Amino acid sequence: MALMKRAAKALSTITLASAMFALPSHYALAELPGMIKIGMTSALTGPYNEFGEGNRRGVELAVERWNAKGGINGHKIEITLLLDDQLNPDRAVQNMRRILDNKEIVGIIGPAGSGPSLAVIDMVQADGRPYINAIPQTPTVTYPDSVTKPPRPNVFSFALQNNIEASVMAQYLTKHVKRIGVIHESTAYGVSGLDYLNEYLAKNGANTVVATDSYNQGTQDMTAQVARLAKANVEAIAAIGLGKDLAVLRRTMARMNVKVPLIASNGALGQPFQEGAGELVLGTRGTMIGAFAKRPLREATKTFADAYKAKFGVDRWWGNDPQYPQLFTAISVANAYDGANVLFEGIRRANSTDPQAIIKAIESITNFDGVNAVYSFSKSRHHALDIDGVQIFEYVKEGDKTRLQPVSN
Amino acid sequence: MEFFAQMVTSGLSVGAVYALIGLGLNLTFWTTRVLNFGQGSVLMAGAMITATMVAHGQNVYASMFASMTITGVILLLTERVGVKPLIKASGSMGWVVSTLGIGVFLQGFASIAFGTQAIAFPDVLFSSGDTVELLGAYISKQYIAVFAISTVTVCLMELFLRKSTWGYAVRAVAHDSTLAALMGIPVRNVIIFSYLASGVLAGAAGILIAQIAGTVDPGFGLHLLVLAFVGAVVGGMGSAFGSLLGGLSLGLLEKLVGGYVSPAWAEASAFILLVAVLAVRPQGLFGKREVVKV
Repeated sequence: MALMKRAAKALSTITLASAMFALPSHYALAELPGMIKIGMTSALTGPYNEFGEGNRRGVELAVERWNAKGGINGHKIEITLLLDDQLNPDRAVQNMRRILDNKEIVGIIGPAGSGPSLAVIDMVQADGRPYINAIPQTPTVTYPDSVTKPPRPNVFSFALQNNIEASVMAQYLTKHVKRIGVIHESTAYGVSGLDYLNEYLAKNGANTVVATDSYNQGTQDMTAQVARLAKANVEAIAAIGLGKDLAVLRRTMARMNVKVPLIASNGALGQPFQEGAGELVLGTRGTMIGAFAKRPLREATKTFADAYKAKFGVDRWWGNDPQYPQLFTAISVANAYDGANVLFEGIRRANSTDPQAIIKAIESITNFDGVNAVYSFSKSRHHALDIDGVQIFEYVKEGDKTRLQPVSN
Repeated sequence: MEFFAQMVTSGLSVGAVYALIGLGLNLTFWTTRVLNFGQGSVLMAGAMITATMVAHGQNVYASMFASMTITGVILLLTERVGVKPLIKASGSMGWVVSTLGIGVFLQGFASIAFGTQAIAFPDVLFSSGDTVELLGAYISKQYIAVFAISTVTVCLMELFLRKSTWGYAVRAVAHDSTLAALMGIPVRNVIIFSYLASGVLAGAAGILIAQIAGTVDPGFGLHLLVLAFVGAVVGGMGSAFGSLLGGLSLGLLEKLVGGYVSPAWAEASAFILLVAVLAVRPQGLFGKREVVKV
């Protein structure tokens, strides 16, 4: 048995090594083809297409704008494979296999959730072609061991990473709340978010979490969780989850007359939360990329907003205000738009389809003026967003309208 | 005490909706020995149609009436397309697959017609913030209303089945449909009535539970169906009173375990209860043991 195990281990090592050596030779000296092909799998339909469809729009807009300028060094870009995974890990793996089997694909845009992304990320890393992680917040998608350890060589993230979001939330909670109750969804996103929040609160010297509870995505009632938090006499509830579930939480809090503030992850700033919670959104605070809150908008942000409005109009991903996109656009559309732009810029600089050349070129990008922030990458830094780009916002009443106002940390 | 009161009221409220769904499952089971595995999607349809009509400015009560009528018709079509042609075949695989298939179809149809995103459900019965103080605890008026409506509906159905001529007919068909036909009971009409009533009850349950959740999406209902089924089996398939007791016990157990032990154990406890009841009393708490002559 032990011999068999050793043989299997040796075989897998040989296979991996031969794959690693085989890869560069396949792409070596690869000049740009007539058409630069991109592969994408995302939640285009299903209950989470808020993100997947938004990402598709972002990538399509980036492709259109590059092609309007003549493409990459004169070569047009096309999304050759646009596949729907509905945020289902199994389907994402099937889709990714299809994308990776197409050797003409130069760059990949990954799924819109942590679950499906973690399901595909090892095969993507073994393949070696540049991969853009637009939404999934779990840092292990990009940094498998720890955010302080080296990233996966071919993965670049434009997500609001959990560690960044938790750090901003912890900073706020440390200053303002003495007894915190934490509630999180039971997914990879929720659990890693909780771990980071606890880690940063401890770093800040604030061991103030007095109760923690979890829930399953799609739950319809959180009475038990809210009652447990209320029983622990929490001064505020910090929540990590998706908008629809956060709305259930907010409604349950109202139903049980629990009047402590709700400070939540970015899901609380999207339409599913606003529609589900209705008037109860008032007073809720949430973390979000601050790009669309600036007045006037930064030049790159304004260019994106104008281009989006011209192509898609004032729609669900834009929000209700015809003048400015909603804050949520930053993590549903603009992150994928920025990710695609950086990928194309990498291909332009490399002037090659060789994955290693493109990766090196992306790692050489500094001060790239993106929609959500100004980005710089290096061999050890493969994530785009940092703490300075993220703020806490609160729903406030202004006349008969509700708007989001930045809260000082 | 405050904590206990909150767990009990929310448990009774959710449990009463399980009972309502369980009664709908029971009705079709009595007359045709068929469990509608697509009932979860019918719950969704009831809530989704109401939410959409209200969002388009229709009167809340007219919207609820329309959606319950539509869910009744959905069950009639289910019986016609998915049950009647397959019921004569031996074994239950035919109707299991067909009712499940109709449920999946409804879910897909709702995704196309209403979109895949969750849509807000209007405050039909009070708003989430409406509470009353009881034993020092704030109790939601929504919970009280959902509990009262569900319980009264189940009791009225039980009264109807026990005291009315149609009720006798349903019970006669449930007991022995061949003998009932020989006695001149219009078996076909009784079956149609049972499916219609099951659809209306599912529509009502969907509207009531959507009130608690606040939103409804195409995937809404499947999870509820599973728990309602557990409640109905625990109570005893074939008994409306059993449905009510089973549903309420399950709701209470879920909330008390969730509150006092851990929310992570809440659902697991439902299935532990199911296994325990099936091991000790396979016919459920109030069901009658089936005797088959061989």
